[in-house]
Amino acid sequence: MNIDLTIAIIITMVGASTPLLLAALGELVVEKSGVLNLGVEGMMLTGAVVGFAVAYSSSNAWLGILAAAFAGAAVSMIFAFLTLTLSANQVATGLALTIFGAGFSSLFGQPYTGKPIEIFGSIFPPFLRDHPILRVFFDYSPLVYFSLIMVFIVWWFLYKTRAGLILRAVGENDISAHSIGYSVITIRYGAVGFGGMMAGIGGACFPLILTPQWVEGLTGGRGWIALALLVFSAWKPARLFLGAYLFGLIATMEVYAKAAGGIFKILPSELWASLPYLATIIVLVIFSLRHKASSSAPACLGKPFIATN
Amino acid sequence: MQLQLEKRLHPSRLMLFIVPIGAVIMTMVLGAIIFTILGFNGLSAVREIFLTPIINPLKWQDLAVKAAPLIIIGVGLSIGYRANVWNIGAEGQYIVGGLAATAIALITYEMSGWWILPLMAIGGIFGGMVWVFIPALLRTKLKVNEILTSLMLTYVAVNLLNYLVFGPWKSPFAFGQPQTILFNEWQTLPYIIEGTIVQAGAPIAIIIALLAWLLMSRSLFGFQIKTVGSAPNAARYGGFSENKTIWLTLLISGGLAGLAGMLEVAGPFGRMVPQFPTGYGFTAIIVAFLGRLHPIGVLFAGIILAISFVGGEVAQTTIALPNAAVGLFQALMLFLLLAGDVLVHYKIKPIRINRVDKGQMGAKKQEEII
Repeated sequence: MNIDLTIAIIITMVGASTPLLLAALGELVVEKSGVLNLGVEGMMLTGAVVGFAVAYSSSNAWLGILAAAFAGAAVSMIFAFLTLTLSANQVATGLALTIFGAGFSSLFGQPYTGKPIEIFGSIFPPFLRDHPILRVFFDYSPLVYFSLIMVFIVWWFLYKTRAGLILRAVGENDISAHSIGYSVITIRYGAVGFGGMMAGIGGACFPLILTPQWVEGLTGGRGWIALALLVFSAWKPARLFLGAYLFGLIATMEVYAKAAGGIFKILPSELWASLPYLATIIVLVIFSLRHKASSSAPACLGKPFIATN
Repeated sequence: MQLQLEKRLHPSRLMLFIVPIGAVIMTMVLGAIIFTILGFNGLSAVREIFLTPIINPLKWQDLAVKAAPLIIIGVGLSIGYRANVWNIGAEGQYIVGGLAATAIALITYEMSGWWILPLMAIGGIFGGMVWVFIPALLRTKLKVNEILTSLMLTYVAVNLLNYLVFGPWKSPFAFGQPQTILFNEWQTLPYIIEGTIVQAGAPIAIIIALLAWLLMSRSLFGFQIKTVGSAPNAARYGGFSENKTIWLTLLISGGLAGLAGMLEVAGPFGRMVPQFPTGYGFTAIIVAFLGRLHPIGVLFAGIILAISFVGGEVAQTTIALPNAAVGLFQALMLFLLLAGDVLVHYKIKPIRINRVDKGQMGAKKQEEII
């Protein structure tokens, strides 16, 4: 395989992995606090449409990303209010959030269909980002570097800070955390908001850095794959990073299989398009074979908490 | 004054009825406000979406057509959700059910006879069951979460549909359009009322809801499902097998979604097209919840959601409201329903500030509630 193609594949892979990584990192913090938010897909779609709309209107991608983060966090608060304050069922509310995000993005995306936007690409000088070899390091959107930094920050926060310790304690044993004086609900609100913000930014990756246009339902189930990644990674940030890049690679294969010809031509393109979803199922199976009981999940995941004074 | 939730010993039966009705009414009120803020004519939007389909008798047949698949899928999902089995991939099972029925229609194209439609129905049910087989197997054998697997398979089902209608099943007479040949008269559902578009799907939906009601309220199986869902420990103690419940509820919901797929492809569509996945499988999730996971409730909820679909089409032509607005109304309805559910399971009480019982520090975790 020639070097140009290898570099092209790597760059496509990194791009495809980034939204997945961002959304999954956000959901990691949410689930570590003991909350199961199945609405990742809906928050990504919301972030995507708001990010595109603002970036298009202001011609400023940074503003778009900021708006996407805000929009993702805002809709996550609907989920937080229902599940944390009103103790609604988390599975049902997460599904509702996804249905909401799909409806919202399809309604608000409509006027933007077919509108062109400049891709939010590398901000490095041309001699780096266009260099035939070095571009493998420099030809990425700032969001890619942001996602990589966030892997480290989330790990550091969860395992090296006191706040992270408290957050994990709330997810493992909410009753004890409450009885030693931590506000379980407030901490979970914060976690859900962070998850919404990251999902919103992850969603905005699609129209801003991957395909510079608005297409309805453009996240294509990536929010759900992000949820599966958490299981696959056993809720560990470093493994989450590996998992996201593995899925990026699988998604990239679809793009290059069409171009490659030969043996790839024999299989229908629909099979390649199904690959990320089939791989998700296979990965879940492999994980469950290795860990008979899902003991690595936070103990209080998905259970409502009601404080009695 | 602060408010506090206190768990009721039994879910309030009164609230169980009031909350869904309140949620629908609040959806109209809030919907009108939100859509006005968004720059649409909020009041006419609500009127066209929720009232026109009821007031205008010409729209009733559309309601029957749209409600049938929602009810059939919703009944199946509600049985599973009762047992805490979360099949959310009904859309995929609906597609594969439709594909299986299409396969039989293509094989029997040169034939005639009354037996073809029942065979297609069996094929549809079987197709839906095949698609839910993998999530069921993985959940029972390996404890793999059925939410993710059933949803992932929906995307695979869409690709399978595209492969077939763009490839091997493409009709040679369709001028390059990706679609199968038109089904013949033996493969198409009969109209049950002369001069309308109502086909056999509507009465079948009612029969299924009634049968499910009998099953859930009169049989041991129904009792088992409700016990596994609401008191898993008691169910285990009582000797109810959790895995058996998962298998049965998933096969029922998959089979019914597959049947809905057959009724759609042999009914309104009359052939297989790429536009076959219309989102009924996802909307049926709202139907199941709005119907309180009760078959008769699902029957009414299916009609309410059908009203919003038909009304959405009306609003599109009369006040140029984008069709996607309907999805937003439906999501709002589900949010309000879930919010209202707090009243079913909890009493809301003010906290008395000067309480003396400091010994009661600590928290009481609640059982997961549905």
